[in-house]
Amino acid sequence: MAARQISNPPGIWGHYGALIVLALITLTPIWVMVATGFKDDVLVQQKEPVWFFFFPTLENYDYIMTRGKFDRYLWNSTIVGVSATFLTLLSGGLCAYALARMEFRGRVLVANSTLLVRMVPPAVLAVPAFAMVINFSLNNDLAVLIFFYTALNLPFAIWLLFGFYKQIPVELEEAAIVDGATPLQVFFRVLMPLMKSGYAVAGIFTFRIAWNEFILALLLTGRTTRTLPVGAAGFITDTGVEWGRIMAMGTLIVIPPLLFTFFAARQIIAGMTAGAVKG
Amino acid sequence: MNGVQLNDITKSYGAVNVIPQLNLSFDEGEFVVIVGPSGCGKSTTLRMIAGLESVTGGSIYIAGKDVTWARPKERDIAMVFQSYALYPHMDVAGNMSFALRLAGTPKDEVKKRVKVAADMLELTEYLHRKPKDLSGGQRQRVAMGRAIVRDAYCFLFDEPLSNLDAKLRSSMRTELAILHRNPNRTMIYVTHDQTEAMTMADRIVIMEKGKVKQVGTPREVYNSPENLFVAGFIGSPSMNFLDAEFQGEQPRVVGEGFDLPLPPRLHDAARNAVSRSVVVGLRPEHFAAKAAQGGAAPPLSAPVSLDVKVAEYIGSSQFLAADIGKRQVAAAIEVGPDSAPLESGEYLFDTNRIYLFDKSTGNALV
Repeated sequence: MAARQISNPPGIWGHYGALIVLALITLTPIWVMVATGFKDDVLVQQKEPVWFFFFPTLENYDYIMTRGKFDRYLWNSTIVGVSATFLTLLSGGLCAYALARMEFRGRVLVANSTLLVRMVPPAVLAVPAFAMVINFSLNNDLAVLIFFYTALNLPFAIWLLFGFYKQIPVELEEAAIVDGATPLQVFFRVLMPLMKSGYAVAGIFTFRIAWNEFILALLLTGRTTRTLPVGAAGFITDTGVEWGRIMAMGTLIVIPPLLFTFFAARQIIAGMTAGAVKG
Repeated sequence: MNGVQLNDITKSYGAVNVIPQLNLSFDEGEFVVIVGPSGCGKSTTLRMIAGLESVTGGSIYIAGKDVTWARPKERDIAMVFQSYALYPHMDVAGNMSFALRLAGTPKDEVKKRVKVAADMLELTEYLHRKPKDLSGGQRQRVAMGRAIVRDAYCFLFDEPLSNLDAKLRSSMRTELAILHRNPNRTMIYVTHDQTEAMTMADRIVIMEKGKVKQVGTPREVYNSPENLFVAGFIGSPSMNFLDAEFQGEQPRVVGEGFDLPLPPRLHDAARNAVSRSVVVGLRPEHFAAKAAQGGAAPPLSAPVSLDVKVAEYIGSSQFLAADIGKRQVAAAIEVGPDSAPLESGEYLFDTNRIYLFDKSTGNALV
């Protein structure tokens, strides 16, 4: 194919200018976080902020790794994030499938109202959730957090996956049924592989929320079950806010979801190109 | 009892009665085509045989076994869908072997059967391609292969050729006919295309509004349609229908712009008819040009005058859109490839090919 000269349309500079401004707005706080994590206390508290040129120190990271309980928090967060994501995708997927395909009373109402539950901010749930958990003496148990995050994420996951299932032609399932597949075989061997991109999107959102959530985690965890965000908040002490350590921890917290998103996003692209069904 | 039997099948969706009562029987090894306009219940019927749709009443037997409430996998059937419904994430071999793998067939056996089917359908070099990398015709063949590999008792086809272009369709039609001769399985084929039905079927079932209008061989339904619907549906271009009256001692049918003597086989029908008025059916291909225009007169023929509006040249014949009286009719007239465009004037009609239908019931008079 011959290379073609594409002339820049007149608005191109304004277009890129706007994108650069937006990128700066997004990236600045992240840079502040990363940079602060490498500053010592004196530098952090300085009246004139230092943006770029300072002598970086690993002191904050050293403190977090050796004296805090970072490994403990990381383990808790991983357990909670992965389990909640897995549970949400599994049950949400089955639920969305039922809503998309099966005929039962109230189907349309349920399908259309799942998102309503999502409108409730977690903070509103905090008090009743806390009361419930205390009543059943379930505080300080990671399972509680997993179930709450699953419940919080299900509406969105169901709504999203519902849309994806709707796009899969019914004939594919019928072909599988005629081929002798049981309903679960249809689900796991024919539909799931086609739903990769849907699950990837739902997975990114669920994991991110479960990983970052703070209020419920603060209320429902104890010394041994704290997650990373709660752990980071531990540096707000009676004697002052230890910004350097908080920011260093923040930087570390960001890394796993970032990796997860890159991995899952690849599935989205793969899913988009594998979708050819019709002739 | 063998083959496939549908006894008193009914089907309703809520208050809508799609199939009032259906009795059909397909012999073992027979290729039956169910044909009808869209919404006539033919696909529903096929899906009930497959078990993808439940019946409201009645019973279904396959190979002598009552399968009315059996799951599709217990019915020993294979099905080809209109959209092919290939699994996009599996390659051709995976698609064809899915049913066998689900059934736990040994790996060697699976490989062997996929290879046989792939050879038959000329798919061997594509076995490791995904459906999206195949052409329409190849996908169609994979869908067919998926059914063949099963070696099921009964094959069901739901308009499998309607997504293909005309040329591919006719070559697939031939392949299907050959395929049927090979494994000699019962095949039930649904289509809205009467040409497909006529070319492939051992027997044709013509349906309208959930009811069977006629069952017969292609020759029977073409030569002796039992009612107006079948007469109009089978044959291309479709039969012309004109209002007429019986007249005279030697019975004739007389209508606006035509007066045709009836052949001896219809004399009794004319004499016994309850009503004097009747619908006359004239197939376009039974018109002929007079010798002067390059035509050959059939042995029993009568003149008809046609007021030609359009003459379409299609090679060895010409299609006419013409008026008899005030009614527009179609005529296909064989005049050879070198003929000049046909003009208005006297033409002949093969009176031995006249069809008569009762005006109120639409049934054929014989």
